[in-house]
Amino acid sequence: MKLLSLMFAALLLSACYEDTDVTLHKAGVYKGSEDKHAMSAEERADVLKQRFNQVQTDR
Amino acid sequence: MARMKFLCDAERCIECNACVTACKNEHEVPWGINRRRVVTIDDGIPGEKSISVACMHCSDAPCAAVCPVDCFYTTDDGVVLHDKDICIGCGYCFYACPFGAPQYPQEGAFGARGKMDKCTFCAGGPEEDNSAIEVEKYGRNRLAEGKLPLCAEMCSTKALIAGDGDIVADLFRSRVVRRGGRPDNWGWETAYKD
Amino acid sequence: MKLIKRDPAAIISRTSGINRRTFLKGSGIAAGGAAFMSLLPTAMIEKADAAESRQPTYDEGEISKVHSVCSHCSVGCGVVAEVQNGVWIGQEPSFEHPFNLGSHCAKGASLREHGHGDKRLKYPMKKVNGEWQRMSWEDAIEEIGQKMLDIREAAGPDSVYWLGSAKFSNEQAYLFRKFAALWGSNNVDHQARICHSTTVAGVANTWGYGAMTNSYNDIHNSKAIFIIGANPAEAHPVSLQHIFRGKERGAPIIVVDPRFTRTAAHADQFIRIRSGSDIPFIWGMLWHIFQNGWEDKSFIEQRVYGMDEIRAEVANWTPEKVENISGAKEADVYQAAKTMAEHRPGTVIWCMGITQHTVGNSNTRALCILQLALGNMGVSGGGTNIFRGHDNVQGATDFGVVSNSLPGYYGLAEEAWQHWARVWDVDLDWIKNRFDQRTYEEIDGKKISPMYTNGITVSRWIDGVLEDKANIDQNDAIKAMVLWGHAPNSQTRGPEMKAAMEKLEMLVIVDPYPTVSAVMNDRTDGVYLLPATTQFETHGSLTSSNRSVQWRFKIIEPLFESLPDHTIMYKFAKKFSFENELCKNIQVTGEEPTIEDITREYNRGMWAVGYTGQTPERLKLQVENLHTFNKTTLRAEGGPCDGEFYGLPWPCWGTAEMKHPGTHIMYDTSVPVAEGGGAFRARFGVEHNGENLLAENSWSADSEIEDGYPEVSAEMIKELGWWDDLTASEKAEADGKNWKTDLSGGIQRVAIKHGLSPAGNAKARAIVWQFPDPVPIHREPLYTNRRDLVEKYPTYEDRRSFYRLPTRYGSIQAQDFSKDFPLIMTSGRLVEYEGGGDETRSNPWLAELQQDMFIEINPADANDAGIKNGEQVWVDGPEGGSIKVMAMVTERVERGVVFMPFHFGGHYQGESLRDKYPDGTDPHVLGESCNVVFTYGYDSVTAMQETKVSLCRVRAA
Repeated sequence: MKLLSLMFAALLLSACYEDTDVTLHKAGVYKGSEDKHAMSAEERADVLKQRFNQVQTDR
Repeated sequence: MARMKFLCDAERCIECNACVTACKNEHEVPWGINRRRVVTIDDGIPGEKSISVACMHCSDAPCAAVCPVDCFYTTDDGVVLHDKDICIGCGYCFYACPFGAPQYPQEGAFGARGKMDKCTFCAGGPEEDNSAIEVEKYGRNRLAEGKLPLCAEMCSTKALIAGDGDIVADLFRSRVVRRGGRPDNWGWETAYKD
Repeated sequence: MKLIKRDPAAIISRTSGINRRTFLKGSGIAAGGAAFMSLLPTAMIEKADAAESRQPTYDEGEISKVHSVCSHCSVGCGVVAEVQNGVWIGQEPSFEHPFNLGSHCAKGASLREHGHGDKRLKYPMKKVNGEWQRMSWEDAIEEIGQKMLDIREAAGPDSVYWLGSAKFSNEQAYLFRKFAALWGSNNVDHQARICHSTTVAGVANTWGYGAMTNSYNDIHNSKAIFIIGANPAEAHPVSLQHIFRGKERGAPIIVVDPRFTRTAAHADQFIRIRSGSDIPFIWGMLWHIFQNGWEDKSFIEQRVYGMDEIRAEVANWTPEKVENISGAKEADVYQAAKTMAEHRPGTVIWCMGITQHTVGNSNTRALCILQLALGNMGVSGGGTNIFRGHDNVQGATDFGVVSNSLPGYYGLAEEAWQHWARVWDVDLDWIKNRFDQRTYEEIDGKKISPMYTNGITVSRWIDGVLEDKANIDQNDAIKAMVLWGHAPNSQTRGPEMKAAMEKLEMLVIVDPYPTVSAVMNDRTDGVYLLPATTQFETHGSLTSSNRSVQWRFKIIEPLFESLPDHTIMYKFAKKFSFENELCKNIQVTGEEPTIEDITREYNRGMWAVGYTGQTPERLKLQVENLHTFNKTTLRAEGGPCDGEFYGLPWPCWGTAEMKHPGTHIMYDTSVPVAEGGGAFRARFGVEHNGENLLAENSWSADSEIEDGYPEVSAEMIKELGWWDDLTASEKAEADGKNWKTDLSGGIQRVAIKHGLSPAGNAKARAIVWQFPDPVPIHREPLYTNRRDLVEKYPTYEDRRSFYRLPTRYGSIQAQDFSKDFPLIMTSGRLVEYEGGGDETRSNPWLAELQQDMFIEINPADANDAGIKNGEQVWVDGPEGGSIKVMAMVTERVERGVVFMPFHFGGHYQGESLRDKYPDGTDPHVLGESCNVVFTYGYDSVTAMQETKVSLCRVRAA
């Protein structure tokens, strides 16, 4: 039991070590259904910018 | 083209949790699921800082990279969303995410995980905008209504800012200048490398 | 999923920022903080006991937007509700609202939950043989009313206690006070007694009115921000938006508190002091100010009376003495004083850390004196920005839901009754006959009856029940208690409260929730629960902390069988047969008095405060034009409200036709009175001890009297030769009256026409000769840990009668509890909850964030007691109460100090009372109430309870 908990502790500790040489991944191609919007991306950007200036600025 | 980003100004965040309950309110998020949460470091001692954290909608999102069923997509305005119909709730994205954003509702017996749920930047999912089905699966789609995420819109001190990265940065820059140069745009380096 | 090795350079940038590992590490540290629950994996989070119902939101049906105001704290944040088919389906930010610009805190952002109301009390109920039984409204009013009439017959009207609420609208508050008067008793009170009564008394006695002098928004203009005994980051989060605006424009923030609060985390300077040592600290700052000649000499000369006496007292408070008593180091106190002196105007902010003490009234006056010495009064950016608590505690105070005054601070003297009887259009003799005619108290050798004597306070109602009736200055003890929108767990001495509840003949709870009152006693009969609506199910006005009056529109119809408070008042009045007197000039539809008519009625009577110009029409017009108000000056720029201040902050003088814009910054002499200027009120006579009390060489802009002057009366108008400025009908009403009692408003109109402030132009007074301590002096708390200081700084002597009750001071302080109870105990708020917490703990969006009642304890004390973070511990109070709570080990509190939030209830001395709630009404989160261990101790002027300093012991459970 003691050994087991030691091993467990070692496992936990090793999880704290971060190897900077990691494998990174690149996303695959999206396989879900398409997300369609009523507004084009440009229209949306415009509307949301207006909203931002109305909402988030320090007045 | 707009590129949506969140910014939490740690100089202003007071851990009031408005962002958390605004999110619950807007999307009827059930007990136990936290699309957004506030993290406090050095709690109770000088240097205490709070930061509101949710999905940061990363460029090159690590969640998308590790997803075995490729259910993630990035919208034209840079919001990272996913299709719950094909999500298998495997939990990889939670391990990949640098912000701990993905959540998994408890469903059924044996603690089997449900579909992943996370912040949508109030942009819903791949269903028809603000259809009953989109609202039920992903919550409301404020972006489709020309509104920004409610957490940021309701932030008590306007610490949490959401919007196009350029104008978010402009606003933040003007604050930093006014303060005499103390930027505290927590998490940007990790989330938006470009 | 494709696995590709990517450019390692990208990794470097990742590790330099906060990455996942440091993030998770951070979350581990945060486990000590309030965020700890939300960070646990989902499997570890308790499941809500109620099934969450997800509603399809976008049905058919038009969506309307309704403007209201948050019902939690006093900031008064605007709310926009989206309503479809009568259902509150969405909440949008109110960006144009001048106070919050769309922002909310956790509570405000979760308001829509009020539209579900799962945990609400759904219909009238009573307890029969220990079981809750549903009943009809008719039966409930009949039974309760009849019992009250029986008690009235047998024991007198003072044996029924009417405890009102800071959650009432202004109209309901006014109607409630009138209701109590017509019932025939001054045993009426509300939360202000236990939150800011000492502020109201202390501040009003300094310069005339006891309220926030500037506004949250005006803090943008502050050059320094001094916060003492307040934690706005949790109690008033949206105020931080304004505080940060000031900070980012260069104002340093100084926080003085026994705890390193979430507000302190954002301060430029934090000074920790011992609980209950505020006066030594403030005098310590003033010591440096006087020592260095930093006081504003010309301001003091022109506008302050009695500063020399203060100077003499302050001279005693050398830095060594200040450090010995408060713990604040000389360098820190000097730095704070210097900051305030070099950054003018600075603002001073305080809350319950200052008010809830036996010396609360002196504490508040000391802070006023600090601002007077610095010359920071009556200027934008300065002022005493006193943050009130509940959304309408300012209004409920103004409308006199207190045991010591009629509406408008008119007091309880004969003239006050005459004034209000005239406004009510009710025969004064009829009202007099409603009261007990016998006499119990003697003032200046004159025996006076209960109609003219202060009633029992909410802080002491339990003594009004438990005390031997021979010792109470009324006919009999309290036999029936009505808790109308008031949590019991916000008052101290829990075990005695339980005994009091059980001794009563009847306990009536009128509230949207059953509250802790329903469960904390072991009564099996004689408890009634009446469901009242929230403010979102009715409409009316409220007064936010900065004196702005805002209009709320109704969002949804009353849920279940609940009724608005004013309808319930009318039902009772009908049972007592005084509904015609109550609503003589108020139209009643069905059984609901018309809100707008109530507003118009108080507009006709509230001259002394300047609540006369805020008609429903003007208030509603402002809501439609929120966008026209400047977010710093609060003044409308163009549009139909051009020139008005938002909310027509009182004083808004004269009749509505006068179009007074309200007063944003009080006592500001740089602006004409007609445009919101003013001067210190001439409330205390024209001279004292041969010294002039009126202002000298100071007057508000455009004043035709270029000097001080007393309050304006018809007599004075005549002497000045302005009598013919009044119209004939004004003359008829105004003759022989003054600015407070002339119902025509003519006196105020003419005074303002000539640039005068109707309340006069006097000096503020640094000494209040009618108070027990004319000069604020330090007195140790009743339960002090510093026995060595008791002899030099003793508390008051016991009193035979104070608000009708014997009141102990010295006899408690004489006992040494510090050996057995070595820890200083203090209490305060959490952002997620409010007040007694019944409403907020019933909201799952909030309850999920704070699931355990806890006690903050320093690591050293925890180690001494063998307690670890997260463990259950027993907290024992010196009066016998014990509570079982979770330990939160943190350096937020210093060694020897513990802190507990006061919002929890539903556990009692280790036992859960969940089963005692009516089915389906138990809040999501229950916990021990800290006030079960909090102790005796009442302010020497207002009977405020001493909840910011007591003693306790903590032991492992």
